[in-house]
Amino acid sequence: MRRTYSVIAWIIAAGVVVQAASIAFALGGIGRYVQDGGVIDKALVESRQATFTGDLGFPIHGIVGGMVIPLAAVALLIVAFFVKARGARLWAAIVLGVVALQITLGYSITDMPYLGLIHGANALAVLLTAVYAALLMRRSTRNASATEPAADVTAT
Amino acid sequence: MSPQHDRVRRVAAGIAVASVFGLGAMGWSSTLLGEYSVMDMDGGDAGHVHGSRDSGGFPSAGVSVAGLTADPLRPADVRVELVARRQAIDIPGGRSVQGYTVNGTSPGPTIRARQGDLVEAVFINESVAAGATLHWHGIDVPNSADGVAGITQDAVPLGGRHVYRFTADDAGTYWYHSHQVSHEQVEGGLLGAVVIDPAPSAAGKPANPYETDAVALLHVYGGQHTLNGRVQDGHVTAEPGSTARIRVINSDQGTAAVWSAASVRVLATDGHEVNGPAAVDGKKVLIPAGGRLDVAVQAPAYGSARLHVGGARSISVGGPAPGEAVAGKDPAGPPARQPSETLDLLAYGAPVPAGLNTQSPDRTFDYVIGRRFGLIDGRPGNFWTINGQLFPDVPMFHVREDDVVVMRVINESAEVHPMHLHGHHVLVLSRDGTPASGSPWWVDSLDVHPGERYEIAFLADNPGIWSDHCHTLPHAVDGLVAHVMYEGITTPFTINGSRGNQPE
Repeated sequence: MRRTYSVIAWIIAAGVVVQAASIAFALGGIGRYVQDGGVIDKALVESRQATFTGDLGFPIHGIVGGMVIPLAAVALLIVAFFVKARGARLWAAIVLGVVALQITLGYSITDMPYLGLIHGANALAVLLTAVYAALLMRRSTRNASATEPAADVTAT
Repeated sequence: MSPQHDRVRRVAAGIAVASVFGLGAMGWSSTLLGEYSVMDMDGGDAGHVHGSRDSGGFPSAGVSVAGLTADPLRPADVRVELVARRQAIDIPGGRSVQGYTVNGTSPGPTIRARQGDLVEAVFINESVAAGATLHWHGIDVPNSADGVAGITQDAVPLGGRHVYRFTADDAGTYWYHSHQVSHEQVEGGLLGAVVIDPAPSAAGKPANPYETDAVALLHVYGGQHTLNGRVQDGHVTAEPGSTARIRVINSDQGTAAVWSAASVRVLATDGHEVNGPAAVDGKKVLIPAGGRLDVAVQAPAYGSARLHVGGARSISVGGPAPGEAVAGKDPAGPPARQPSETLDLLAYGAPVPAGLNTQSPDRTFDYVIGRRFGLIDGRPGNFWTINGQLFPDVPMFHVREDDVVVMRVINESAEVHPMHLHGHHVLVLSRDGTPASGSPWWVDSLDVHPGERYEIAFLADNPGIWSDHCHTLPHAVDGLVAHVMYEGITTPFTINGSRGNQPE
């Protein structure tokens, strides 16, 4: 279970990297598209037929941020209850908290663009807490390995 | 731990897992729609009945929608034959895309009639495999001609034909489009414009004082913004000082902006004239998806005036056409920057009695738009809700003929929704508590932005079963569709059955 916990935490951390990359890719694509005379308006957005380089970045950002990371964060908290390690539940809860905040901010940006400033900064909080949670396992595995060689024993 | 104890635990765990899956499967299958009739959709009481009229529910026996027709004996004044095909659409100025055509082109032919004419359209489906229909967007047709597959007719199958008949009662700008798998077929181009010219006045002079009159139909084909089917800007030749009426039709899935560096006037919204339209300067005017806006543009003394229609295209009014101009010098001048300020149609034009007494409505309904995760027809997703309920548990708005109906449309979601009621025109009464103060604002497609609360009213004067849905058509697929049902009207048609009717 420790291994599962740490894998999930790394998935969340990797997800943040994908988020940063995908949105930069998409915005770069928009810049290029507009520069070449393309027009982005509600008609194009709702037609779901945009074809510029980088437009794939938006669905990736939406799916990873709206589904993959939150599901992983919930899974991390569930797994934390089966892990015997100090701070596992606390850090899983913190990760879930910042992820929840991140999603709320993300969906509210269109209403209040200033929230984008916090959304970008909070992404780093998601990354750092997820990495910390993952490393927590390595540390506690080292401490526990002497007394508890079978790492995946659940409460019996 | 004893082996017996262990076995009990395993069995218990097995039962628990099986129960969870079983309940999950039951819950999932309970959302499957199968074949259904809109007659069975009634997600609870959405409104209030006032005065002496009795409760909202009605006995369902009565007249079939198929019997609600225009005078069958009257000969047609305007007769057109429209053939739908699935084929590559040639887009001048762009690349061709696979889509749908009417009589070989998209947009299809513009149908022009005079007020009072009886219009007869013979629709033939030559090669649209999923079947197709024609809906007359904005025209208050008899219910049998509304073209909604599974409600007012069966989708016209391959090789089939269907005749639509209606009288063109209201002059104005309208359009027609398929209402079978509409999110795909409308986006794919199965559409065209309808213009109904006003009847000549008693004195014999034409009621339309504009020398020049042009349709500007906007549509995105495969990511390409077009004006009347071309990835090119348009030009309308007009004498200096004369005024042209530009009929902008937004056939897309999202709001379009219209603006100009010149002074323009909004002559009509959704086929209804604005009373006393003032000059619009330095403001953009928004057209909801499905909506129309007639704009007056005056040709300048020299060159031409440019009207931006949608984000990408523009149409110039005046002379000479850009191609004939001196090379490198556009007579319409450089494109105008889009104004940040929007014209508020709630306070545009001069007030005049609207001819609809809404002081004591017979019925009041709520149409509250929200969003949540759930299952529709076994498909998981983040779906739209109406009054908190997912499709098909959405309200049925029961009315009686001659009822004055007031509806509060409230958008609690985070996206704009262009709400479109079939068969009627609605009068906007107020927005967020601010009463309308300009010309009566009649619409059939109304953008309701996040957090906004519109109060609208209509006279129930066109019996039938009428869709009341979001015209960002993928939203209708995701549950944003309800219906207005008249007392005593029934439909023999069904959705999802062997006829393959899928209106959204």
